[in-house]
Amino acid sequence: MNNFTYYQPQSVAQALPLLENRWGRVELLAGGTDLLDRLKEYVSTPERIVSLTAIEGPFREISAIPQAGQPPKVTIGAGVRLVDIAESKLLAPYPALTTAAAQIAGPQIRNMGTLGGSLCQRNRCWYFRDTHIQCLLKGGRKCYAHEGENQFHAIFTQGHPCVIVHPSTLAPPLIALGATAQIVSPRGNRELPLEKMFQAPSKPDQREHTLAPDEILLSVTVAPNLPPGTRLANASYEVKQKVTSDWPLVQAAVAFAIEPGSQRARNVRIVLGHVAPTPLLSPEAAQELEGKVVTEATAATAAAAAIQGARPLSQNGYKVPMLKAAVKRAILLAAGFKPDWE
Amino acid sequence: MAEGWPKQRQVLGSKVPRLDGAAKATGRARYTYDINRPGMLHGVMVRCPHAHARIKAIDTTATRKTPGFRALTLIGASRDVVITAIDGNKLTCTPAGKKKAPDERISIEVGEGVTLIKNLKVVTLRDIQPGDRVTIEAEQWVIGRELFYAGDEVAAIAADTEEHARDAARALRIDYEVLEHVVSEDEVLKDRKKRTVPAPSNFTEAKGATQGDVEAGFREADAVVEATYGVPVISHQCLEAHGLVAEWTAEGGLTVWASTQATVSTAQQLAARFGLPAAKVNCITHYMGGGFGSKFGPDVQGFAAAELALRAGAPVKIMLDREGEIVAAGNRPSAIGTVKIAGKKDGTITAYAVDCYGTPGYTGGATVNLNLLPYVYSDAIANWKRSHAVVYVNAGAARAMRAPGHPQNCVLTEFAIDDLAARLNIDPVIIRRKNLPPNNPKAPPNSWAARRNTIYNEQIDIALQLSRWKEKWHPPGKGNAQGPLRHGIGMALHTWGGFAAAQPNECYVIIGRDGSIIARTSTQDLGTGQRTVTAVVVAEVLGQNPASIITEIGESRFGLSSGSGGSTTCPSQAPAALRAAQAARDDLFKKVAPKVQADPKDLAIEAGKVVDRKSGRSWTWKEFCARLGMEEARGRGEWSLGIANEPGNENISSGQVGGVQVAEVTVDVETGLVRVQHLVAVQDCGLVVNRLTCESQVAGGVIMGLNYALFEECIRDRATGRQLNADMEFYKLGGLGDMPKITVHLQDMPERGVIGVGEPPVISTAAAVGNAVFNALGVRVPFLPLTPWRVLQALAQGGKVS
Repeated sequence: MNNFTYYQPQSVAQALPLLENRWGRVELLAGGTDLLDRLKEYVSTPERIVSLTAIEGPFREISAIPQAGQPPKVTIGAGVRLVDIAESKLLAPYPALTTAAAQIAGPQIRNMGTLGGSLCQRNRCWYFRDTHIQCLLKGGRKCYAHEGENQFHAIFTQGHPCVIVHPSTLAPPLIALGATAQIVSPRGNRELPLEKMFQAPSKPDQREHTLAPDEILLSVTVAPNLPPGTRLANASYEVKQKVTSDWPLVQAAVAFAIEPGSQRARNVRIVLGHVAPTPLLSPEAAQELEGKVVTEATAATAAAAAIQGARPLSQNGYKVPMLKAAVKRAILLAAGFKPDWE
Repeated sequence: MAEGWPKQRQVLGSKVPRLDGAAKATGRARYTYDINRPGMLHGVMVRCPHAHARIKAIDTTATRKTPGFRALTLIGASRDVVITAIDGNKLTCTPAGKKKAPDERISIEVGEGVTLIKNLKVVTLRDIQPGDRVTIEAEQWVIGRELFYAGDEVAAIAADTEEHARDAARALRIDYEVLEHVVSEDEVLKDRKKRTVPAPSNFTEAKGATQGDVEAGFREADAVVEATYGVPVISHQCLEAHGLVAEWTAEGGLTVWASTQATVSTAQQLAARFGLPAAKVNCITHYMGGGFGSKFGPDVQGFAAAELALRAGAPVKIMLDREGEIVAAGNRPSAIGTVKIAGKKDGTITAYAVDCYGTPGYTGGATVNLNLLPYVYSDAIANWKRSHAVVYVNAGAARAMRAPGHPQNCVLTEFAIDDLAARLNIDPVIIRRKNLPPNNPKAPPNSWAARRNTIYNEQIDIALQLSRWKEKWHPPGKGNAQGPLRHGIGMALHTWGGFAAAQPNECYVIIGRDGSIIARTSTQDLGTGQRTVTAVVVAEVLGQNPASIITEIGESRFGLSSGSGGSTTCPSQAPAALRAAQAARDDLFKKVAPKVQADPKDLAIEAGKVVDRKSGRSWTWKEFCARLGMEEARGRGEWSLGIANEPGNENISSGQVGGVQVAEVTVDVETGLVRVQHLVAVQDCGLVVNRLTCESQVAGGVIMGLNYALFEECIRDRATGRQLNADMEFYKLGGLGDMPKITVHLQDMPERGVIGVGEPPVISTAAAVGNAVFNALGVRVPFLPLTPWRVLQALAQGGKVS
């Protein structure tokens, strides 16, 4: 790796002045499970590293505020480790999130990796990660995956010059749960729905998220606003080739409210992961389930709607039926069905 | 007749924990990677980033100025010469020791970029005179060098830290002429005249053989099946990468700590390269983290480390990084074959024809073991035809990998058998039993040839029972479904040699007057448990506990041994240890007998004591050894294939084994995920020396085979020619959670002597898993690994088997 200057500010306020208003020369360090790899491979060659590891307080904490007739409002600091999300009692009402966190990579990664890292990490495309290949994201003229080895790439590809999949496994459940992101910069604080924090990059000065280079993600808040009297159902389901230390091939996260009595699903949100350059909300799938009682048949119909619009590449057509299965299973799990696939 | 294995065994065949288990588990064991010598430098390899290129120009100036830089050597840029004339800074010389072109004249101007080495020291012009033998490395000699794959070695650089070495490597300016490349077999098949490799073309015409009348065999059959099956190129993925630490001694000798499967051969190759007497090079491999056939010598990086150490005047360590390990340190080559098989309703195979090809990379030979196709059953199948074509691509060259060619053979045969069984509507076990090679009644009674049919049938019986086959097998695709899950069970057979090595293997046993026992051998323990095996044998003969034996292994100076390949180590070293221990015991008796007024031939070791059978007296081991006085007792043992073949030795070591494996799987037809639930491995291995490490070897082979079945594949990019998964992220290797229950059954046959078992258990696992998936789905997934995408694709196509 190239030499760099290492800063370890004690607070977010101290960290902000160390950032620049363009990408490349500064990198933020949290768990390091992504950044160190990029440094060693010379994929990233920053001159300055700003470590967030000495920042204490809310940045590293999970806090919950009870809401009347609703699941609690939970704020997760960006510096909270994946293992602490997976094991948090405060997050027990949100199994979509805790089970997703518990399945990321292996114990070593979960013990180091953070929420902020999961959401802001760079993509895992093997062309992007090879220092000898100049792909679009590194200023090259083409995306090699379009015509090349693309079995792990996006199937929702329309309009995307670069066909990475977004690597975060926490983003889909958080978006399904309607989470918001709290962001700070020299210009002050801002908050936005988490789904707005992601973008499909296609050039070197773009990341997989919409944060400005001088911004820091502070926290993410989950605060469901369910119709009165309903209860929250949520789940995440992913298909991985290996049980541990593997990336999902597809992921589906769902959240909806269940009406008492009628058992109908309301406020359905379905998010697809590892199939597009961003975590992908599927209003088509949600609409199919909205107002319906969850059954094998309604789950399958919603799943079929989720894959409409998929335009797989030469080698990843398999992800389409696989995603359909994942969406169906996530819906059934959320509604409390006993899995018949285990 | 020589004394054989003890009839009454105390330790042999029992479960003895590895002597170095605690050292390995706690990190106390020092592998090559852990060796750090005073003043040691760190070396890295510089590799060609292009799949095919020629060096146009090179500039090392910037590299030499980077912080911490200490030495550089260019691969293929040095020549051994004899100086004929010196004119200013201009040297004229002839190639040294080359009979091919004795008249060749080499001229070179000594200046920047030219290194002179004389008597293993970097020297200047002033230090040489006509008649001197000198090694010259000249940067200009690397110009024009052709590189054949992305990862081909260009240079090695040493610096004070690994980071500085990497920085220095990145500062090296090399101008490449990028040439046409091809990295996939099918591109070669489309254009067979293509030439991007050293061979005259990327495609070599197929070689093959025929027996009987294949067409008649197809005609007389009740069913004929034709299909194409394939296995990919996979990497050895040694957990400890290739590499060594090289240190020149003050006396002009060379010590290397190498991660190698062959201490003696590594030392010999280094001695030859540097013109040293073999005794001046010591290769040390006390602990080793996996080789699987890919680590038989110093290798490019090993020679480079010694060269850099010479130039820098300091020890140098080069261990490959993971990318280098995967792209440059060998692979198991691919094999893709069209197989036509025909059979009768009673299970008789009437004909088998395979036409296959595969790639060993940019150079190398056949990718299957062509002489053993059809695999296992060839001696029973009357009519067969086989052919294989080598396809060269711009990728690293294949190396031997745990049973080279056999897993490929196994898939090309065993997949076809299950497909034929399905067509005949019979249990595939019927075909296997019907076509097993026959016993040869004229062969020696304990030999493989005399017993193979019986051994296989017994193994099948055991495997059927352990896997509950009769209860679990169903016609393909006709099992009970549970939701999206389909259950399947499949079988495959294999065979292997496992004889003693042709080269001599020595072991020395030394008994001290304090009763301590040293067992010393140059052989290396690759993680197989060989250290413990040596101790077990010596402990058995001398009536001791294996843990009390001081094992000194893994140094070339300890004597002769062969490389650990072909599963030869245990059948070579266990008998050598047996003979050494027997000789040491006899020497002990001879030396002490007069002092205790006994006749050596009345002395014996019983239950840890030395007894005089004549007088009934006995001594504890320590008491008896104390009588050695100022002496010690010594024994040397030697073993080799030649000795094993001497009359009367067939019970000490032999070879040729069979094995049967059964896999049970569930397949999720919605996601394509295959999970192996249970794997039964029945293995013939003659006399079991250490049951614990032997079972562990079989389980380890099965685990490797499961990865072949489900996960492993080198993925090379057509456009860039680079391997995209030269890592452990997308080069997938299963973890504990991916592993099934593994049931190992060792088929004890002590009368066959010791037989190597390192390789056979890896062979049939993938074929058994593939057949289990076929049984689950009723659809053949023809190519390994059995990934979700291949399973879903096969299901979508309905499994076209014509």
